[in-house]
Amino acid sequence: MTGAPVDALQRVPLFADLNQREVKQIARLFKQRTFPAGETVVQEGSGGAAFYVIESGEATVFVAGKEYSTLGPGDYFGEIALIDEGARLATITATSELGCYGITFWDFRPLVEANGVIGWKLLQSLARMYREARAG
Amino acid sequence: MTNADTVQELRFEPPAPGYWERDAVHFPRPMTRYWQEVHPAAFARGTGDFARFYGMLLGSLGSAYVHGFGYRSMVPVADEEVPARFQRASEVMQGKLWREQLRDWDERVKPDSIKAHRAVQSVDPAALSDQELVEYLTRCRDHHAAMIAQHMRYTASAVVPTGDFLAHVGDWTDVPPAELLGLMRGTAPVSAGASAELERLIAALEADARARELLASDEDPGQVLAALRALDGEAGEAVSGYLDLVGYRLLDGFDISEPYALAMPDALVRAIQIAVAGRDLEGADVEAAVADIRGKVPEQHRAEFDELLGEARLTYRLRDERGVFSDIWASGLMRRAVLEGGRRVAERGLIHEPVHLIDAGFDEMCSLVADGSGPSADELAARATERTTRDPKAAPRSLGDPPPPPPDASGLPPDVARLMRATGIALGHLFGSSEAEHDEEVLRGLAASPGIYEGPARLIAGPSEFDRIVTGDVLVTQSTTEAFNILLPLLGAIVTDSGGLLSHSAIVAREYGIPGVVGTREATGRIADGVRVRVDGDAGEVTVVE
Amino acid sequence: MKGTVPLVKAHETALFGSKAVGLGQAIRDGLPVPPGFALSGAIVEAVAAGNDRAIKQVAKTARPLGGPLAVRSSAVDEDGAEASFAGQHLTLLNVPSSEHLGAALSEIWWSANSDSAISYRQRVGLFTRPSVGVVVQALLDPESAGVMFTRNPINGEDERMIEASWGLGEAVVAGQVIPDSYRIHRSGEVLQRTPGFKKIAIRTLPEGGTFEQQVQPELVEQLCLDDGQLAELNGLADRCEQIYGPARDIEWAFADGKLHLLQCRAVTRSGS
Repeated sequence: MTGAPVDALQRVPLFADLNQREVKQIARLFKQRTFPAGETVVQEGSGGAAFYVIESGEATVFVAGKEYSTLGPGDYFGEIALIDEGARLATITATSELGCYGITFWDFRPLVEANGVIGWKLLQSLARMYREARAG
Repeated sequence: MTNADTVQELRFEPPAPGYWERDAVHFPRPMTRYWQEVHPAAFARGTGDFARFYGMLLGSLGSAYVHGFGYRSMVPVADEEVPARFQRASEVMQGKLWREQLRDWDERVKPDSIKAHRAVQSVDPAALSDQELVEYLTRCRDHHAAMIAQHMRYTASAVVPTGDFLAHVGDWTDVPPAELLGLMRGTAPVSAGASAELERLIAALEADARARELLASDEDPGQVLAALRALDGEAGEAVSGYLDLVGYRLLDGFDISEPYALAMPDALVRAIQIAVAGRDLEGADVEAAVADIRGKVPEQHRAEFDELLGEARLTYRLRDERGVFSDIWASGLMRRAVLEGGRRVAERGLIHEPVHLIDAGFDEMCSLVADGSGPSADELAARATERTTRDPKAAPRSLGDPPPPPPDASGLPPDVARLMRATGIALGHLFGSSEAEHDEEVLRGLAASPGIYEGPARLIAGPSEFDRIVTGDVLVTQSTTEAFNILLPLLGAIVTDSGGLLSHSAIVAREYGIPGVVGTREATGRIADGVRVRVDGDAGEVTVVE
Repeated sequence: MKGTVPLVKAHETALFGSKAVGLGQAIRDGLPVPPGFALSGAIVEAVAAGNDRAIKQVAKTARPLGGPLAVRSSAVDEDGAEASFAGQHLTLLNVPSSEHLGAALSEIWWSANSDSAISYRQRVGLFTRPSVGVVVQALLDPESAGVMFTRNPINGEDERMIEASWGLGEAVVAGQVIPDSYRIHRSGEVLQRTPGFKKIAIRTLPEGGTFEQQVQPELVEQLCLDDGQLAELNGLADRCEQIYGPARDIEWAFADGKLHLLQCRAVTRSGS
């Protein structure tokens, strides 16, 4: 079976408004990746290559050295660096063994460009982050 | 970069006959012309004094500058003086005459020096006429020279008892010298950088809420200091008293090219914050360490261990004090006077920036202030650029004759041999580590990737600690793997315990163009997380520059 | 899908990457390379994506190699790049058999597509999607191994620089020991023999994988190469230079008394 399982992606809010066929198309672009507990998944400040969706396990998000939030199944991360081709905004560490599905930039970008619904969802997610940043 | 450096390689000739060793510890960068004029005679005088006082077989130490880089040599004592020296050495060791020097320092020399500094400091250079300023420059220069000699005069008393302790305990145990030196810390408040003025300041701040608020605020540090000074009552007075004591001390180094504390208000504010925030808890830890090491000393030597440690600790604070209360203050005062001269000369359009006067020789400074004659603005600017950009790597580690063989102590009278050994060890460890309150430790490894970089060391055991790295850090780790590549854009240099020149760390350091020293064996054991280190990828050395 | 060939038949770097083709060429030129297979970038990606047919195909291909395997990445477009990608290569020595290749290939694919790999590529001017092939060989159990540069990478002198240690050469490559350091003039004259501090040796396990063995105290600072072996290494350096040109970075191993060539690539910008 190639790519990510459809049900793993369906739980992700980013893909919530897509129909099954569309999710299947997207799922094919993902590859499984497992991070052992304790490993740094993404390093703040470094360039970004992939966007990840968590299927199992837990990860902790650190910003400027301070713990910021935790992520679990259904959560996603890493899209910002792929959108603006900038540096990773946070360090994410696998607290337990972390089962993910990842998609690299070369597939992520055409995916977003081709699918307006996903694009809109990302914008909403960014808007929310922006508001939070302004408030905090 | 100026023409001189780009067009041709600098030739380094020995400044005089003999063996000259590069002193990169005290003088890592090229020194100013002024310093090169003033230092050698004062240095010879002061070192000659201590050699005579202690009955050493040294006549004096020579200092010379080649392309601005400092070199040192030893001038042996004249043969006919040797018997007198032997006699004196015996008196010193038997009578523990360093105590005499210490008493002299405490009772006369240090208070007199502080008075002299304050007298020079009390003059406001800006209020002087040009002719008066020239006289003042001369006064500051003479004061500075005297203080340089004074600093060196007290070297042996700071050094001999400690060296004696290191020599004996080194024979009895295999505890490394760096660890033994750690036993000296916290022996007296003064050795921790405190003073009566600081104690008064801490007390005053603890009692004054407004002062504490100011200290904790996020305001510009310069404004914080001004506001603290302006407080009425005890707080304001204590702040002024403290700043008067420390304000003109150079923060680092010895040359008039270095800033003094008042020019770096954030460093001052931080120092005050730290002093107010925490009391020195070193005391308890040191006693535990002493007991631990004493336990390693064979039973029959323990009484002597106690005695030697006592003498070492008694004199240890002199290491810090002899610089701080002598030339480190005097140099700051000279700088202040030169900057006033520079301000005037720049205003008259004779030089481009006030600070360029720092690169004039002493007579040149005076003539520029007095009648405007002297080197051109471009010439001084060029000197400043050359001095600050000249590559320290160009300076060879030694010049002239090959190094003399170490002296054979076996044919000498026992006290002389003991003194020589104590001094030798101390000059090896302490001469480089005492001034400017620095603790130097040099680690050697393989020179894997060229360049010199200074920055905070970050001890990283593995990928789980990667988020502790901050841009500009020096990675210090056992060895590296591909997993570490993610850190490369953030690093200033790489230091590893193991690995060869063809290992991953060496290769990526060369490819990223950052200095690398590998195969040090014990970097992770000897370098503490967060300390400032200098990584020399050409020499394969890592130095802790606390 | 054509995705796998025996190493001796690996010709196209666009398919298999320069490491595989380099080793294939070395075999064709008669150099002592352990036999194995080259897997293409396409099939590695398919395996990483979870394609069952691709997974079965690679397992079948590598079966003749038998027991524990050495699996190395072979990046497809590093030819001509200024940097050696020294940091980006992944070598896996813990693959017990060809049935376990799927997970290994997935790991290699992700290491070529990791944040640091992509940043590194961009830094050296490569902005395209990476493609990574794989070389699969039987895992050796060497007495001593290490790295040799046919020209001194620090000062550019015309001499061989060799770093060697007990066991697998990963200890030298990964910098886990302070290796012995040798310099040999191309005439064969040995200019330097400096023992290192070789406290550990990476050894293979019969069922695959490796472990860190504590080296016997008397061997820690004992030279692990004798003059005969140094002469062999110098000879190998000569042959590699004749075939490929000057300034080669060679990984080698002495196993069962024989010298094996594990890697031979161009020494790139060394910071000198």
